[in-house]
Amino acid sequence: MSKTKSPPPDTPENARTRSLVVLSFWSVVLLLGLPLWWFTTSIYRAPLPLKEMQSWSNGRACRAEFPLLVDVEAPLLPDPEHLLKTVQHALDDANDFSAHHLRLRLARSHYQSGGHGTSQKSTSSPSETQDQTEEESVAAILRLTPGASGSTHSYQLSNSSRIIDLYYSPSYNPSSSASSTSLALFISKTLMEIFVEEQQMISHLLSSGTPTPPPSSVPPGPSNSSNGSNKINTAEIQRKMSRIMRYSPTYHLTFSMFTGAATPASWEIEQSIEEYLQPLLDALSGISNFTVDSQIQFYASPSPNVVPFWEADTPENLGDPNQLSTGKWVLKKEDLSSFINSAEWPLVSITSYPTINFIIYIPSPSQTPLSISGSATNAFLLPQWGGVMVLNPPNQINHLTKADLKGAMDIFAAQLLSLLGAPSHPPSLPIRLDSLARQRSAELLTSASSTLGSLYRLTKALPSISIPTSVSTSVAATLQSLHNACRELKRGHFGGPNSALEEGRNAAAEAEKAFFEKSMVGQVYFPEEHKVAVYLPLMGPVGVPLLMSAVKEVARVVAEWKARRRA
Amino acid sequence: MKLLRRLIAVVLVASSLLSATTATDSTAKGPTDYDEHLSLKTLPGNAVLASFSFVTNGTFDNHHSVFPRSLAQILEHSHARELHLKFSLGRWDSELWGTPIGKAGGTGVELWAWVEADDDAGADKQWRTLTNALSGLFCASLNFIDGTRTIRPVMSFAPEGHHSEKEMERLHLLHGSLPREPVCTENLTPFLKLLPCKGRAGISSLLDGHKLFDAQWQSMSVVIKPVCDNGRCRLQVEQTVDMVLDIERSLQRRDSPVPKPLPVERLNCDTSKFYGTGDSCFPQTNLGDLPWSLSEIFGRPIKGVCPLARPSREAHVCAIVPAERSIFVSQNSVEIKYPDGTRCFVLPDTADFDVILPQQSPALPLRLELPPLYASRSFTGHGQERGGVQAVLRNPSLTETVDFVYLESLPWFMKPYLHTLRTTLSPASPGFEPIQDLFYRPVLDRARGAHLEAALRIPPNSTLTLSYDFDKSVLRYTEYPPDANRGFDVAAAVITIPKTGFAIRTTSLLLSLPTPDFSMPYNVIILSSTVIALAFGSVFNLLVRRFVGADEVSPRTQRLEEFKERLLAAILRRTRGEKKKME
Repeated sequence: MSKTKSPPPDTPENARTRSLVVLSFWSVVLLLGLPLWWFTTSIYRAPLPLKEMQSWSNGRACRAEFPLLVDVEAPLLPDPEHLLKTVQHALDDANDFSAHHLRLRLARSHYQSGGHGTSQKSTSSPSETQDQTEEESVAAILRLTPGASGSTHSYQLSNSSRIIDLYYSPSYNPSSSASSTSLALFISKTLMEIFVEEQQMISHLLSSGTPTPPPSSVPPGPSNSSNGSNKINTAEIQRKMSRIMRYSPTYHLTFSMFTGAATPASWEIEQSIEEYLQPLLDALSGISNFTVDSQIQFYASPSPNVVPFWEADTPENLGDPNQLSTGKWVLKKEDLSSFINSAEWPLVSITSYPTINFIIYIPSPSQTPLSISGSATNAFLLPQWGGVMVLNPPNQINHLTKADLKGAMDIFAAQLLSLLGAPSHPPSLPIRLDSLARQRSAELLTSASSTLGSLYRLTKALPSISIPTSVSTSVAATLQSLHNACRELKRGHFGGPNSALEEGRNAAAEAEKAFFEKSMVGQVYFPEEHKVAVYLPLMGPVGVPLLMSAVKEVARVVAEWKARRRA
Repeated sequence: MKLLRRLIAVVLVASSLLSATTATDSTAKGPTDYDEHLSLKTLPGNAVLASFSFVTNGTFDNHHSVFPRSLAQILEHSHARELHLKFSLGRWDSELWGTPIGKAGGTGVELWAWVEADDDAGADKQWRTLTNALSGLFCASLNFIDGTRTIRPVMSFAPEGHHSEKEMERLHLLHGSLPREPVCTENLTPFLKLLPCKGRAGISSLLDGHKLFDAQWQSMSVVIKPVCDNGRCRLQVEQTVDMVLDIERSLQRRDSPVPKPLPVERLNCDTSKFYGTGDSCFPQTNLGDLPWSLSEIFGRPIKGVCPLARPSREAHVCAIVPAERSIFVSQNSVEIKYPDGTRCFVLPDTADFDVILPQQSPALPLRLELPPLYASRSFTGHGQERGGVQAVLRNPSLTETVDFVYLESLPWFMKPYLHTLRTTLSPASPGFEPIQDLFYRPVLDRARGAHLEAALRIPPNSTLTLSYDFDKSVLRYTEYPPDANRGFDVAAAVITIPKTGFAIRTTSLLLSLPTPDFSMPYNVIILSSTVIALAFGSVFNLLVRRFVGADEVSPRTQRLEEFKERLLAAILRRTRGEKKKME
């Protein structure tokens, strides 16, 4: 290696200029480049009240309560307060689900004057409407009257009012403690019997809707009801709950007649609905609204894998359907779940709200009469979908009259109630509808809360998802409505304007709106590789010299500093 | 299969039992709820035109019997008062087959509707609802009819249904077309489901996707409109299927479902040609009229009458064939002869029905109706930049002048220059002004397409050539379809003759646009990044580096050289060592 000249020494000005150049490049990158890049590529995420959302989804934000007020009218009973106290004690002792409890109240005397109406509002005189609207609504009215002489305690509940007529035995003696206890026990048992199904459903809803069940619902506390019957009930309740349609403010009802051949060609469905179903729909209008349409489809056959078999009445004709013998075609119970031929039957509606289908199926003449094995009504219910009834009209009529359809309409009405989730137990429709309103409020509350929880988890799981302002306003509206709903529940204000049901409905709608915000979905699948492919060709060649020069300069400064310290 | 046959037999038995009751019912009723009709017409060149028509009447309320609920629901939700939906495939050869079917749409899908709305924005919203709902119902891409494919025709279309003056004020006419849509079985199946008899009985039992879409030309249409007589209104849906079947092809398909070349001895060769010898075969054109029957060309006979159409007691099947040609039909059907030579048949209640036409040689001459207008349209222009369109319209009549409206709905990437719009008459007739009226709505990029509507007139026995130039836009990278090199379809021009309400369509056009290389964005990114990096690197190095003479290299660089040498030596040693080990 040849001997070389050493370069002229680096002047300090040169070194300083170089440092300044590197510094200025870096400052451009850091002060202009980075903020610009950040500003142009950052994703807008509106602030969300995450903590509150989480607490709602955990069920910690609100302990839903369902206080039910029962008015007691006892015009002829001496010292009713004492009796009421005993009954209340008995009820509280027996209740294992504290969120849902009955509260007894002695009706004021002026209720008794006109206390025959179906609801509290109708019984009140106009002057009292003002203070009554502020009061809680009454779940039921218990009327205590002495029964016929020699009879024991009994009660009666009519179909169309919420008055429970309780006839106590005329031998009742308020001064005797035994007699008093027996009446109190009977009253509490009666009330429990009426509201037990609703209580179980609400308890099920509240516990299944939240990931961590509130401790009040399980395990059941010490109570007089046996644990064995309770367990059977949970299965039963689960079965009932699985049938219920998701709540919607509006449902579409489609009545379809599917005939295996070309007859009957007409039916009096309009009149039938008007007469047999409209009263029920009107009664339900406080909870949901309904739109109705109907259709007839000819040459309709059930799913091809559903084949009914021939069952002759007399054993010698067995298996010979061609012979004019008496017998019937039978559909097996296992076939019912696949009975609906969804590929062929035009049952889809374009409405934005859910459709409940009611189908009258009239088999083709070759398969008449068709019956469902083990069914007295020849009808069945498809959970969360609708109801089907197999009708065998007498000898090929071309027109079904209102009378022909009455049976089907009655069944459809019952199926509609159970699809909507009304409890089957007390015969009184107003009480059942009230129950339905409470149950729907609970359902809406849990569904809105769980939607909030899902949104919370989504925003946590996907940091690159954008959150527009509309989502945060929707979430705020949801939270507000949830608060209101919770408050109204505690107040016992379940149905009507500004009630728990309506607030819950708003909450659920807003929560859905927030969760299904369109602009959020588009960002989810933006690939990271894409970014690398775009950035790397520029960042690599530009970044490497910048970085190297920075390292060099820093090394020089450090060396200088060390040299200075040594010197 | 056996089971199916039995089921059908059973259904037919059932309907026969019913005939007595329905016959008495029909007298009491007014217009029947459902009617169907099939007309068969022989065309030159051994073709048959089969026209199916199904008319269903319904009410305006929510309770439907034969009227399809799905359609009624769509109308209700989109506030559409009248709707025309057409699916077509193939080209009607009017030189050979005569007057085209006036109801048929252009190739692909065509939709127009009168929608009730307060203003244009409202109408657009309802239109979007309508296209989306129909798209779901008919399994067609109708949801792709967006603002760029929608026009509001001014002169071409008039409502067919009855709308009061007051209603008409609030109705908006919108028109959209999808020339590229391949019409196929998935569109036929929902179409059949709308019929009350669903292809199980009546003439609809002939409709089968394999035969329909094997036709030379076919068109399906759905027209929904309110119909009033004597103040009583009803909602009517008219479904039609028109198809031109090539008999020779259908018969061949019957023999071998998979098309196979015929053996030489079975080919019909024209041996009269001096050049048609040996191994070459020129097809014979005058074969005579081939024999055919319904079950041969459709694959099955008609399965009895549809019980719901029976009350009308009319002939459901008519044949329009030369009077000299004999027609055989199945038993139990009644033949009705009309003075114009049409022969109609009342279908039997239960039994299968077939129409058989025997061989006729030599072929009988067919009287063809002259169409009021011959129309063809093609591209002119050259290169990737300059485009031109030329429409040739011929009036074959020797006496009548034709007044018509020519409508073009062009995609937004085709930008016509209106000043280049030219009409040429041949033979020239001085002083005759072919353009009576003109409506033009220019393109808005990516928002709406061009809409050209011209009221034209052609003197007798003349040809009018309409031409204009257009620019091809450059599309964005994402706006190209997956098969970008195929080109873009331009919807058929609609020619309507207002006096008669007759409409014909030209064929659709295939426009090729400059197609980029689709890896381009990445190439651009990498190339421009390289340029920037080069520029940046040299400027940066000039500013930061210290420049010294070649003989003034600093000892630090020497150290680097030494390090390099040592590293090289170490690597060499190691590889040698490994080689030794291997040995």
